[in-house]
Amino acid sequence: MLTLTQSLLNEIEAHGVASYPYEGCGLLLGESTGEQNTVQAIFPVENRWEVEDEKRERFYIAAEDMLRAEMAAMAAGREVIGVFHSHPDHEPVASPRDLAWAAWVGYSYLITAVRQARPGESRSWQLRPDRTGFDEEEIVVQ
Amino acid sequence: MATIRIPTPLRPYAAGNKEVKVAGNTVEAALDSLTTTYPDLRQHLFEGDQLRSFVNLYLNQEDIRYLDGAQTSLAENDTLMIIPSIAGGASAI
Repeated sequence: MLTLTQSLLNEIEAHGVASYPYEGCGLLLGESTGEQNTVQAIFPVENRWEVEDEKRERFYIAAEDMLRAEMAAMAAGREVIGVFHSHPDHEPVASPRDLAWAAWVGYSYLITAVRQARPGESRSWQLRPDRTGFDEEEIVVQ
Repeated sequence: MATIRIPTPLRPYAAGNKEVKVAGNTVEAALDSLTTTYPDLRQHLFEGDQLRSFVNLYLNQEDIRYLDGAQTSLAENDTLMIIPSIAGGASAI
């Protein structure tokens, strides 16, 4: 389960809209009990996919940005608990590409649809322990 | 002994530890020590004998690729961080 405030969800949607027509991305910071990931802050980063036009359908979070997020989380007494990215004019469903290039099991993989520069639905996914696919997790907006 | 900081989602596979003190004078030896102590971690970090492609290692916040890679020497108070890179996208591959 992924828990976050409406305000944080608004920030995530706004980042997706600001990145449109490209995919926007960032990290979710907060705390994790294993069963529940609670977002307390977001850490937007640049989509570092190298080919400009392909950013409409691809994102890349570089390790150096991930390191900055880890250091920021540590300084605030938080953890990196997941990743968010937008799907411009696509469903917020984890794709085969999301699966192939996913990171840790246990992260929340939150995807927000952005349609014609307007925020759409957000859905969150958990990578299966054997990395064969994603299962959807409940989002609780407080 | 150097310290390896365990990423949050992997802590259940390392007895809940945030950090683990490891034996070994190189990054490679430290990872061997870590995954020998906590074998359930191995599948998350390695694919076969190789580190998974998204796994990066930072020694005192410096990418070991720009040091001596897996053979980078570790000193007593060094901290090794395991940092993923992440990619994806809307359409199928």
